[in-house]
Amino acid sequence: MDVTLHAAPRGSDVVREQIRIVGVGLRREALVAAVVFGILTIAIVIDIFRCDAATWFDSTDWTPIAVAAFLFPFAVWRRDARFKPAFLWTLPADRRKLALAKVFAGWVWMIAALALLIGWQSTLARFSRVANAEAMPVIALIGATAMYLFGSALILALRHPVRWLVGTAGVFFLLGLLNQVLGLGPDGRTEAIITSTGVFSALDHLERISRMYPPFALWAIATFLWVGAGLAALLAAASRHRERRRH
Amino acid sequence: MSGEAFAVATYGLSMRYGRETALDGVDLRVSEGAVYILIGANGAGKSTAMKVLLNLERPDAGRAEVFGLDTALRGPEARAQIGYIPEQQAHDYAWLTCGRLIEHVAAHYPAWDHAYAAHLVSVLGVRLERKVGTLSKGEGRRLQFVLALAHRPPLLLLDEPTDGLDPLVRNRTLAQLAEHLADTPTTVVLATHHIHEVESLADHVGVLRNGRLVAQLTRDDLRRTVNRYRVEVAEGWQRPPELRAANPRRSPSGREMQWTLIGEPSDVTARLASAGAVVRDVTPLALEEAALAFLAEEGAA
Repeated sequence: MDVTLHAAPRGSDVVREQIRIVGVGLRREALVAAVVFGILTIAIVIDIFRCDAATWFDSTDWTPIAVAAFLFPFAVWRRDARFKPAFLWTLPADRRKLALAKVFAGWVWMIAALALLIGWQSTLARFSRVANAEAMPVIALIGATAMYLFGSALILALRHPVRWLVGTAGVFFLLGLLNQVLGLGPDGRTEAIITSTGVFSALDHLERISRMYPPFALWAIATFLWVGAGLAALLAAASRHRERRRH
Repeated sequence: MSGEAFAVATYGLSMRYGRETALDGVDLRVSEGAVYILIGANGAGKSTAMKVLLNLERPDAGRAEVFGLDTALRGPEARAQIGYIPEQQAHDYAWLTCGRLIEHVAAHYPAWDHAYAAHLVSVLGVRLERKVGTLSKGEGRRLQFVLALAHRPPLLLLDEPTDGLDPLVRNRTLAQLAEHLADTPTTVVLATHHIHEVESLADHVGVLRNGRLVAQLTRDDLRRTVNRYRVEVAEGWQRPPELRAANPRRSPSGREMQWTLIGEPSDVTARLASAGAVVRDVTPLALEEAALAFLAEEGAA
């Protein structure tokens, strides 16, 4: 039999298809978000007409965005049996690269969603007639990226990431209870346990050093460190899904 | 089979799931262009062998090659040659429509033949607008056939492909598979419990028992070497232990026995004769019966 071997797909084709399919997979979440933001828009517009919209634009806190970005990979991967011989892994693409392509696809959609959110908030802020109206800073995109990378690393590294998250939260809760029982109060929660390790003095030292740098340099260092750490964690986690080499 | 080009070759493939042995030193040899039927009881290792060929599972020992590509070192290239129908239908993509899933899979195979995919969809009656999660077992199987065949892979790994198909659809699907094999140079490894369904396609048979490949031969060799023997024996006569036998039946008088015996007929007849039995009749078996003899073999672990 004269056999002509087939080529594996190009990396760019795999990435493009992952962006498409992840987009299709996130349609339900997008619909829910659209409804929520539609309702919020109506509420804000009503407040703008009442000249009572100041509370909507008095904060640049992007903690909720960071939390959402951390949880976003759970939506991206929720249908894939990552640690089983799943359909995804039968495709003719390097498994580790395929996992990273999917992470990248999720990031593209997350950044697109955040860009829309920032645009939405900035537009409303402009029309809010609120003096010094605050909106989400663009820097939130970088923070969200770092959190997304950590969330993706968690998903790819652990079979049961939710159990680990709940377990970790439970441990902190129990430590808090323990502190209260020992009369250390809520502020002494973990401090009492880790002070002896010298972590706080090291952090104080780092903080003193950081004050020596200009804000832009600090921003760049923080970006480099957090995104770098997130990427390192992601690459290490994705290695769990590399092609099955021999023992 | 030495000197032949092999589409699939495994060398001492061994694998355990905990204490269970899934594969034990398996040396599969599937010639290019062959239709190789792999049989075995549930848990004999058929599905595991296929997963190793896709590099979905890592063997504890040994290695596997697909068209000379080491599946552990060149997994993506090996998988690009394979159309795979798994035994169990995955519901990872239950939320997609059949049409979108076909598009998704097509994007990963540069050799995807869109016109042929449309033809298969039409012939197998796949409804593109249906969500994968709402398909019945048979409908899901038909969709899997489209996904496996439409890139005209040089190797098809079909794991219980007719499972869940009603008789009418099964015949239509197998006819489509036969047409595919006539049009496209393809090697097939097909694991099944229902040999009679694919008997007309088969030209090689492998038998896995408890993870060990106990037989691997051509269809003609199988039919020649596995026969039912009717022999006349003295009371209390014992079969020569070197003869591989299955399904013994003794007449009420105890003087006539029937067996399925494995081996060259002339050799088996001579051994029986030298042991004092008189061979009255040698009957060739149907392919399924002959293959199943290896599973029912006496003294097998």
